[in-house]
Amino acid sequence: MSTTHTLLLVEDNEVNRDMLVRRLNRAGHTVICAGDGETALMRMREDQPALVLLDMNLPIKDGWTTCREARADTSLAELPIIALTAHAMDSDRQTALDMGCNDYATKPIDFPDLLAKIARLLPAA
Amino acid sequence: MTLRALSLRARLYLFSAAILTLFAVNVATHVWGSFARSESLVAYRDAVTASQLITDLGLGLESHRQQVLVLATLRETTEAPLDAEEQRAALAELSSISQRLRRLGGLGGEGTEDYYRRLHDSANTLLDEWRRFYNGYNDLGADFEVNSPATYNDTLQRLQELDKRQEFLAVQRSNAIDRTIALTDRITVIGFVTTIAVTMILVIALIRSTNASLLRLKTGAQRFGSGDLTYRINVKRDAGEIGDLARTFNDMSAKLQHAIEAVRNAKADADAANAAKSMFLANVSHELRTPLNAIIGYSEMLQDEIGDPGEIDRDQFSHDLGTIIFSGRQLLALINDILDLSKIETGKMQIALEWFQPAGLVFQVCDSLSPLVAQKNNQLELDIDREMAEIHSDPGKLQQIVTNLFSNACKFTENGVITVAARIEDEWLRIVVADTGIGMTDEQQARVFEAFVQAEATTGTEYGGTGLGLAIVREFCQMLGGDIELTSAPGEGSRFTVCLPVDPRSDHANA
Repeated sequence: MSTTHTLLLVEDNEVNRDMLVRRLNRAGHTVICAGDGETALMRMREDQPALVLLDMNLPIKDGWTTCREARADTSLAELPIIALTAHAMDSDRQTALDMGCNDYATKPIDFPDLLAKIARLLPAA
Repeated sequence: MTLRALSLRARLYLFSAAILTLFAVNVATHVWGSFARSESLVAYRDAVTASQLITDLGLGLESHRQQVLVLATLRETTEAPLDAEEQRAALAELSSISQRLRRLGGLGGEGTEDYYRRLHDSANTLLDEWRRFYNGYNDLGADFEVNSPATYNDTLQRLQELDKRQEFLAVQRSNAIDRTIALTDRITVIGFVTTIAVTMILVIALIRSTNASLLRLKTGAQRFGSGDLTYRINVKRDAGEIGDLARTFNDMSAKLQHAIEAVRNAKADADAANAAKSMFLANVSHELRTPLNAIIGYSEMLQDEIGDPGEIDRDQFSHDLGTIIFSGRQLLALINDILDLSKIETGKMQIALEWFQPAGLVFQVCDSLSPLVAQKNNQLELDIDREMAEIHSDPGKLQQIVTNLFSNACKFTENGVITVAARIEDEWLRIVVADTGIGMTDEQQARVFEAFVQAEATTGTEYGGTGLGLAIVREFCQMLGGDIELTSAPGEGSRFTVCLPVDPRSDHANA
């Protein structure tokens, strides 16, 4: 059961963060949060989440940089990361994938689709 | 070469004149030669005729002497008279000889006069002797000395002397004429060869100089054709038509260059405008999605929760609905801002000027937005001149200007002071909105009035807002005949100063 996995949600917008945490909890996921890229990297290393949902527009260190730095860290190189962003252009999607994200979800979030992406990327229990 | 200083037409005229002159010289030499030749022919003919006459005269004289001697002998021996017929014939023969003698005189050239005169004297003496002989033949009393050979021999000798003299002169003259002919022939040949050589040199020079000029034009045309419009043909090396043509080519190239530059600039402007529009669209899409994410997310979540068994947490439910409403309003504000900006950009934003007292309006805005001040624990300080005069402006736009600046100040300041000051100085309304907030770097200040730019890409989500507020404020200030200034430093707050003319129609405002 996927409940054994912890997800890290990196989102600076309080409203969106609250909404996603509650919905993911309802779907049976344990969620921890970070509000900026710097904190996100720290939590990736310390709490070792099974998957990261990463917003791109973040204070202090943006999502693209955070993702690239995570990939440069050998302990985080294989960590599944799904980019969350309101940038909807194909080029934005490609940029996120080029930075090392495993998948990409556009805001407004299609929640069932996001759950399917999470399920696909989580290691089989 | 000086040839290049001449126009093509001048060169052609010059060459034609030179060739014609040489041709004329040749013709003159040829005519001279021909004249000399015909002169020599006349001289030869005269010499031959004179020689024949001399021989003829010699023979005539000799035969007549024989006749005279025979007649004289007959007269002495037979005393038979000479009839009139015979006498006339003899006299006619004598006058024929005399005539030929005169003809010979007419043929004699220079240098023979003395010889001829001597011959003439001697011959006349002889002929007179003979005439007297014939006339007095029948007069038997008369005595004639026709047998003496002295006069005859003298005449013959003179005749031979003249012949020799004439032969000598003919040879001399012929030699002179031969020399002249040789000279004219030489001059003709030299003139002909010179003409050919000079003509060829001139033609080659003309071809080369013209060719070089045309080559420069061709090179220029090719360079222009291949797109090198900075190239210039050297116009100093050609005068006249070719120089004019080169200058025309250069002018054409310069004009083309300018035209192409203008087209390039226009294209760059169009591309930039297009890129800006695409960027604007991408930004609009991004900004619309953020509140929509909350609206859709919360609505779906509430729908899920309604289906849950058990009691609904009404407070939580109400709070969530509030979030949806807040996001919806944010979306509406965003759409309004986008519409405003679009109206401004397409020139459809209307300005409604009227006379009003701005102090009241500024107070009103500060009052209505006072909850924003308290939200981040800020203090508000007002320095507004309540007694200020009325201004002629658009109150709606002024309200939006102050509202946007005020809410910005509140947004980016925490535990600080927001100051709003307003007064009229020198026919200008000056409104200052200052804060002690996070401030901006120079680079951020340079871009902060552009649409969709907040000082940092990342500040949007932290501080909210559409990123259009300051762009709209600046556009409004400029539409009202004024402008906005910003002084700021990171961590030391920002200070926006709006300057609007009291009356935008006055000269003062237009200055």
